[in-house]
Amino acid sequence: MVASIPLPPTQRSLDTGVLTSEAPSPAPVTAKEKTETAATPDSVAIPEKTKPPKVSEKPTPAPPKHVQPITPPPTKAVTGETAGIRIAQSTMELKNGTSSVSIQDRSFGERYAYYVSIVNSKVSQNWYKSEADPIASMDKSATIVFDIDREGVPSNARVETRSGSPSLDTSALRAVQRVDGFGPLPAGNRITVEFTFHFRPQ
Amino acid sequence: MPRPQRTPLLRSTRRFRLVVLFACLAGALTLRAQEGFHTETSTGVTNIRIAVADFKPGSGDAQTFKGTFDTTLYADLANAGIFDVVSKSLQPQTTPGVPAEMNIQQWAVAPASAAMVAFGNFSVESGKIVCNGFLFDAKNAQFPQILAKQYNEEASDDSARQIAHRFADEIIFRLSGGSQGIAESKIVYVKFNGADKEIWEMDYDGANQHPISKLGSISLSPRISPDNSRIAFSSLGKDGFQIRVFSLILGRMVTFTGTGGTNLSPAWAPNGKDIAYSSSRSGDPEIWISDANGSLARRITSFRGPDVSPTFNPRTGSQIAWISGRTGLPQLYIMDTDGSAVQRMTDGGYATSPSWSPNGQFLAFAWDRKYGPGAPGGQDIYVMEIATKRWIQLTHDGGRCDFPSWSPDGRHIVYANTADGKASHMKIMTMLADGTQKRALTGTGADMPNWSWK
Repeated sequence: MVASIPLPPTQRSLDTGVLTSEAPSPAPVTAKEKTETAATPDSVAIPEKTKPPKVSEKPTPAPPKHVQPITPPPTKAVTGETAGIRIAQSTMELKNGTSSVSIQDRSFGERYAYYVSIVNSKVSQNWYKSEADPIASMDKSATIVFDIDREGVPSNARVETRSGSPSLDTSALRAVQRVDGFGPLPAGNRITVEFTFHFRPQ
Repeated sequence: MPRPQRTPLLRSTRRFRLVVLFACLAGALTLRAQEGFHTETSTGVTNIRIAVADFKPGSGDAQTFKGTFDTTLYADLANAGIFDVVSKSLQPQTTPGVPAEMNIQQWAVAPASAAMVAFGNFSVESGKIVCNGFLFDAKNAQFPQILAKQYNEEASDDSARQIAHRFADEIIFRLSGGSQGIAESKIVYVKFNGADKEIWEMDYDGANQHPISKLGSISLSPRISPDNSRIAFSSLGKDGFQIRVFSLILGRMVTFTGTGGTNLSPAWAPNGKDIAYSSSRSGDPEIWISDANGSLARRITSFRGPDVSPTFNPRTGSQIAWISGRTGLPQLYIMDTDGSAVQRMTDGGYATSPSWSPNGQFLAFAWDRKYGPGAPGGQDIYVMEIATKRWIQLTHDGGRCDFPSWSPDGRHIVYANTADGKASHMKIMTMLADGTQKRALTGTGADMPNWSWK
């Protein structure tokens, strides 16, 4: 579905091809052969301890390559809109535009859209953009994944997709860690939230 | 976290869909095999726009109490500080009573443009109020219901108010992400009764003002305990000023061991077991901590100069902020509850009556920054961030302000203010913690308010 968007794909999806991979393939290791220098006719043998002749090192075999699992690109659109059928849509009117949250096919977001917007507003309020370096983070996005338990306490926050700007990643992680709680979950014991922080200059 | 199989890139090229792009702030939800959702930042976070419908009157003599109920519910949600309440004139003229009668589309479009709607029905049956309240999400057409509550109380004006308070607190708890609403909280204060000063209590919005103490003398600085069971205050008796404790459950005074000296400004620790107060039993007013009945008193300050008005850190209970005159004019200090790590917070002026915010980050206090002979004076309420010592001034040019006290949600401050400077004209005012929405709760003759912990 990513290819259906008439936009060039972003950096994240480029990593699937071998030619454009950022991880270089390991080259085989070869060691230089070390031999003794030949004695010239003028040279006088220096009486010294005989050193054992150096043997050229055997080439060490390359360590077995682990097959990297290729993660297929996410089916959601990079801009954040799903290309799928929208069942229920909640739109928040905001000062600088609209935030649209469209719900796909699972029950939680559909049933409890108000809880999603609470999570959204609480984390956004606690995100201090000044912690991210503005030049390095310009137009970058960091995705943080965290769990919410039954009481609404966030835990286990981790960076899922790095943005390329470490200060943005740290500021995003701290935003989630600052929140004490989102209020008790309306249903279920635990939920996982994927939160994307877009850094945009004011 | 294990990821589910996703459609590989190649297979999806078959489908073409138009995607509408929003300018800045599109959010998307994709849900994985386990429960979860995805969302994104938005550049502006505004208050939730909530519409409060008039409740549909049911059978019986509902009209008299329903009026109180409607106005109280509206005021509670408007005072919460987190909502943008749709004004009554912009609402559709219908009064839905049950979810079946509710046409949510009407409320979601202009002029109401509500994001949430609170509605329900209210009737009086055989001397009892039966009230059903619902909260609907106007943006979620498929599953709009967020709350459905039923209340059943004795029919009276006071219980109509209490039901409105409880419903408002439920709505606030749900929509603010778990922070407790203040609609059921109380404020204790000092009321001037001729030459006497007695302790009175009222609801957080100024209603239901009634007396607590009837000692016939001067009673000052009341403080409610964290579990709302007792009020500690300082009262002038035959042994001078002593700490007295009134039990709200038993309806009478309970024991607090008296000691020598002048004992003022009691403060409860968040565990409800310790009381810190200022006592001059050693000659110089120092901060002492004792049990809730006055035993095991231990002194924690030891410098010459008056030490008064302690307040605990309500989040940790391990720090005390207080006013000390050890350098001359009274200044604001914080220390640990064993007396160590003393830190001075104000840099001059005349500071009094600190109150520590519920999240532990701010101190509200009264400060006269230009104090002294010939100086313009003016005592106002300031809020200082403890970590950075940066402060903001909340009241300006309104007359002398004193005794700020934080609300349990950390969004409101109640304080005493006298417009013309005369002590007898003090009244109690409330405002949001950023200084907006100031309004009076009592008439003149009330002082030293203290907001309950929940």
